[in-house]
Formats: sequence, C-alpha cells, structure tokens
Amino acid sequence: MPEMRYREALNEALREEMEADESVFLMGEDIGVFQGAFKVTKGLLEEFGERRVRDTPISENTIVGMGVGSAMVGLRPVVELMTVNFSLLAMDQIVNHAAAVRYMFGGQVSCPLVIRMPGGAGHQLGPTHSHSFEAWYLHVPGLLVAVPSTPADAKGLLKAAIRDDNPVIFIEHETLYGQKGEVPENGGPARFGEAAIRREGDDVTIVGISRMAVTAAKAAETLSSEHEIEAELIDPRTLRPLDMDTIVESVKKTNRAVIAEEGWPHGGVGANLAALIQEQAFDYLDSPVLRVTGADVPMPYSKPLEQAAFPHEEHVVQAALATFRDV
Amino acid sequence: MPEITMPRLSDSMEEGTILKWLVSEGDEVKRGQPIAEIETDKANMTYEADSDGTVTELVASEGDTLAIGEVIAVIGEGDSSGAERKQEEKAEEPEDKEEPEPQEREEEPEPQKPRRTAPSPNGGGERVKASPVARRMAGEMGVELAELEGSGPGGRIVKADVEAASKGGATRAEPAPAAEPERGEAGAKGQVEIHELTRLQRTITRRMAESKATAPDFLLEAEVDMTAAVELRARLKQVADPAPSYNDMVVKAAASALREHPRVNAAYRDGKFELYSRVNVGVAVAAQDALVVPTIFDADSKSLGRIASDARALAGKVREGKITPPEVSGGTFTVSNLGMYGIDRFSAVINPPQAAILTVGALKKRAVPDDRGRIRAREMMALTLVCDHRILYGADGAAFLARVRALLESPLSLAL
Repeated sequence: MPEMRYREALNEALREEMEADESVFLMGEDIGVFQGAFKVTKGLLEEFGERRVRDTPISENTIVGMGVGSAMVGLRPVVELMTVNFSLLAMDQIVNHAAAVRYMFGGQVSCPLVIRMPGGAGHQLGPTHSHSFEAWYLHVPGLLVAVPSTPADAKGLLKAAIRDDNPVIFIEHETLYGQKGEVPENGGPARFGEAAIRREGDDVTIVGISRMAVTAAKAAETLSSEHEIEAELIDPRTLRPLDMDTIVESVKKTNRAVIAEEGWPHGGVGANLAALIQEQAFDYLDSPVLRVTGADVPMPYSKPLEQAAFPHEEHVVQAALATFRDV
Repeated sequence: MPEITMPRLSDSMEEGTILKWLVSEGDEVKRGQPIAEIETDKANMTYEADSDGTVTELVASEGDTLAIGEVIAVIGEGDSSGAERKQEEKAEEPEDKEEPEPQEREEEPEPQKPRRTAPSPNGGGERVKASPVARRMAGEMGVELAELEGSGPGGRIVKADVEAASKGGATRAEPAPAAEPERGEAGAKGQVEIHELTRLQRTITRRMAESKATAPDFLLEAEVDMTAAVELRARLKQVADPAPSYNDMVVKAAASALREHPRVNAAYRDGKFELYSRVNVGVAVAAQDALVVPTIFDADSKSLGRIASDARALAGKVREGKITPPEVSGGTFTVSNLGMYGIDRFSAVINPPQAAILTVGALKKRAVPDDRGRIRAREMMALTLVCDHRILYGADGAAFLARVRALLESPLSLAL
C-alpha cells in the first residue's frame, strides 16, 4: 500500500471524485490560486479550471449558503472553511438550512453538501483558530459528522461524504495534515457509522476522537509496557452516525471506558458518549466512564499554555489507570 | 406492607428451604441485611432484605420448603407508620410475641453483620460501594457484596473482587483460570493435553518474546564472597522478624547501586533513554503456572528490614493469588533468584523495557585462596547481570555489578 500524507489523501479523494462526477466542485477562501491554507487543494485549480475550483471572498455564511443552494439544485459542492472556528459565521446556513432543508421539503430536495474544515490546537493560532467544535455539530439532527484520524480514513471518508446525499461536516485536524500513513490503492469510500478498533485489549476501552485517537494509541502502548494494562482503542471515525455497537461491545468486555477528546468538557463529545455508554452498558461497568478533554478555557496563544490546554499521552494513561485504582 | 416471597436464587431453582431465620418478628431490618439462610438446588445462600422495615411476621418456619413466589415473611415500613403498626400489633397480640423475641435475638447477633462496614451510630447501614458490573455478577453468582473488600478506587468492589470471591481466591492477575485441559488426538506422542493460556501466561509469552527479539543482551558475571553477609544475617536473625534473606540483601545492595548508576535504573524506548527518579526493584516470584514480579517501590530508601517485610508480604500475595496490578507495575529493575533450587548461576530474559535484570545463584562453600595464597572455605554466590546493550554498555554494567558486589562483601552498610 502506498504511504501518503493526510493532506495528500484528502487531495486524492477530491481529485478522484471530481474526475468521476462532473457535479462535484469546490469553493472556499484561497483554495485555488493559493492552493488552500493547508495545501489540500494543491493542483486542483490547474487540473479542473476556475469553473470547478472557485476562490471566494471572506464570507463564510455566503460560501456555505451557495453550497446549500447549489446542492439543492443537483450539484455536489465541497466547501472549505479555513478553520472550524470560522464556521460559526455560517451557523445559520449550516443548522437552519443545510441540516433542515430535506426535512422541511418533505424529502423533495436533498442537500449533498460537504463542509471541510480543520480544527484542533497545537500550532499557536490562538483562540479564534484552534478550537474543537465536533460537539456543536454532533448536536444537530440532519448533519453527518466525520473526524478522520488517519490518511486512509481521510480519503475514504471524504469520498463517502461527497457521495452521500446528506450534508456532511468534515472536520480535519490541523496537526494531522503532515502525518503519513498507508492508503489503499484505488480504495473506495469508507462507511459512515463504522468505528475502527485500532488495538485490541481486554482491560479498558479507550475511545479517541480525531487526533486523540493517535494520542490514545501511544497511551495504550505505555499502559501495556509499563502497567500491564491492555487497552482496546476505538476510533469512531464518524460521530454521526456513531457506531455505538462496537463501543458497547468493547465496554462489555473490558468493563471500563475512557473517552479522549480535544474539545471542552461541558456538553462535549465525551459527555454525550459517557451518557450513551452508561445507558447501554450500565450493568457492565466497573468504574465511572472517565473523560480526558481539553481545558475549559479559550485556546491560549502562548505555547506552554496551549500545550497545557489539550490532552497528551500521559493524561490518557492517568485516566485509564484511574479506572483501576486511586491515582 | 411488602410481602417477602421465596426468591429465585439460581436459574434452575424451583423451590427453596428456609434453613434458618436470621431475624425475629418485631426486629427492625435494614435494606441489605441478611434475614434468612435459604437452601436452593445449588447451594445454601443468605437472603437479604430489599427494603428497610420491621419484620411483622415470619410466615414460613425453619425447615419449610416453599415454591418460588410463596410468601415467607412480611416486613412493614420502617419509619413512624411502621412503628405505629408495631405498637398496634403489640397491643393486639401480646402473648404471641413474648417467647421468641428475647432469646433468639441474643443468639443471632453474629450473622447479622458479617464483616460489613460498621453501621453508623444512628443505626443506618452504609450502602456497599460496588460497581454496576460487580453488583450484577454478585447477584448472579450469589456472592455477598457486604463481605468483600473492594480493590477498586476508593475501596469500590469491582468485578475482579466478585470473581475472586466466587472462585475462592482467584485474582485479576489470573482472572480466568485456564479451562479444563482439552484432549487432542492420540499420536506418536501419545495423548495430547491442550491447555489454553491464562491471560497472565499470554502476557508473559508476548513480553518475553518481545524482549528477546528486540534487546541485544549480554551477560556479566561476578562471584561474590558472602561470608560476611552470612555472619551478618546470623546476627540479624536474633533481632529481626522476619530476618532479611540473602535475596533481600541483594535487593538492597542493587537498589543502593542503582541510585549511584542511573543508566541501569533506566530503559531504552523508541530511540530514547528514559532515566527514572524512583528506584523500584521487581522481585520475580514463581506462582502456580506463572511468573509474577511484584515491585518493591523506592527500595533504595527502604531499610533492609522493610525490604524483607515488603518482600514477604508481596510473595504471600502472589502465592494466594491476591496481588493487584499496581503491585506488579512500575518496576525499574528486576532481581531473579533460583539459588533455592541449588542453581549455581543462570541467565534470564530482561523484563522489557528495563535496562537489566540481575540473577542470583545458590550460596555455596567453596575453596578460595586468600591474599596470601592460603586456601580458605568461603561462602560464595554468583551474580549475573543481563544487560540491554542499547542502553547499558559493558563498562557501565560492570561498574554497577562491581558496586553490588562490594556492598554485599562489606554488608554492614546494608543493615543501616
């Protein structure tokens, strides 16, 4: 299998889907001439021309609004927002329109729109560029939410998102763009709602969201080598739909669950998942479901503070240990 | 007024026999308090009240066999209304109550609170702290939660505790004892017994293979003159209980030397050296069909006596199968001793990711020439240091081992 970077895998998914389907087109700030703030759209303007790779003004609500409109009349737009923070400017189009039109029109129209955007901290981009808003979109019925953590999933899920007739919030992670990984050649679309078990183990289930799936994988190795605890690591890959079957089955085996996410603790992805786990597996729990989350603060600019504001390997290790004993 | 019916205490149970009432009419009972011993098709079990109240009537007598669902007793509400009812009843039927109540009460105090958390002074028993899965399994297996000591955070009773109780002493280290050996086809090797590995055995298999496959190891051997240590131990025996063993002395000497040689108290991991601030010495203990390495934490700062008592306690727990994961993790170095089997010297597999393992051979009298060439009988013992060459080079390992030997040959400082 060829190795490629996360950003290259996304680029390949866009190219393949644009080649396969004329109705797929891209819109966003600086995606054409500048080839994207994170170079995900590299080479696509040259290959597909201005009609299908459109640079837009700084106008998130309009970009998404055009996406909703063009999706309703039969195109398959993929819009890029420069960060998930900026998507808040387009909340009206996303929540009141994209998510709801199919419902409001009784299924007569659908909205096959993909909104790509990076989230997450680590590059000192401060509180207006570095947040993790998975939970905000997870909240909305009518939206699908993908959070790929590997190049293979980035490609497979983006292809699936473009082909899906529902609006998809596609959250990439800024620090993962340069990560390399194996990507199957001629791979098709991945399936939404299918979690990946990244590592099998009998002792504790760790669910890692987005980049935290990578962080949790390191934590799982430390738990094994230093504490003789074999963690089962689950990457849900999509938060809507969410593969609760895989998670619950794992918790029934391990009796313990830790959820690692980068977002804020209150009303977060982990808060929701912890509620679901206790509803569906209460009689199998040996410990409260524990969460490892970002700090309950706006993301700091200062490097040491920023590093302290999102979870690292040792936090996941500590949480996993705390399901066994006082730490 | 809740009626207590014959409970279903096993899946196949159809009827049960009241072996013994643990309460009398008129007694106040708390939820969770054992009220009766019931014999089922499977076992004799204690049945607990599922609400607070006052026993108003014991419908079934001891020895009665009743079908599931038949009323065995009636428990009234425990608060003021119950008290009123009790008074009414007392007024109505005074003669019935007289004889059973006083004597039976005196005889029965002991089964009522078997080792349970002491009830608070106001009489309200505390809710037993148990995880949901432990609670469910205890119910299924007929294990009395109140009699268990929890090993989870904050003393919570967890699944492993219930499993251990139901199996009489199995632990998390050995959660599922291997199933009955399977018998395979008879062949040139005769009948083949197939044993599934326990989880602990699977872990050992994986880690030992990983160690051998990844660590380029080499051996350093040293003969230690233990004559002075033997004399010291003989003297310590008269004052210390437990008297430190030679292995405890080796642990203490190694711990002191580890403090002075940080590269030995370290690990090679992912292209980096990790040096640890704590000196935690693991001591390999053979358990039934397995190998467990409990950890003596901060062995460098513990006295020899403390190391001896810690080691005794940990080895005891291993043999009883009561060792817990925190007690077998966190080691930074390992000592393994087969001297008791008369093994002179041996090599061992490094416990990854540690930098080295020290093995201890048997103590034997040997003829050794002294400084002036005179042959003397000395108590000799071989130490072998197996090193991971990625982090520990020959000279580093040698300096460490020489220090261990020096400490053991002049052992007085170990006793400090």
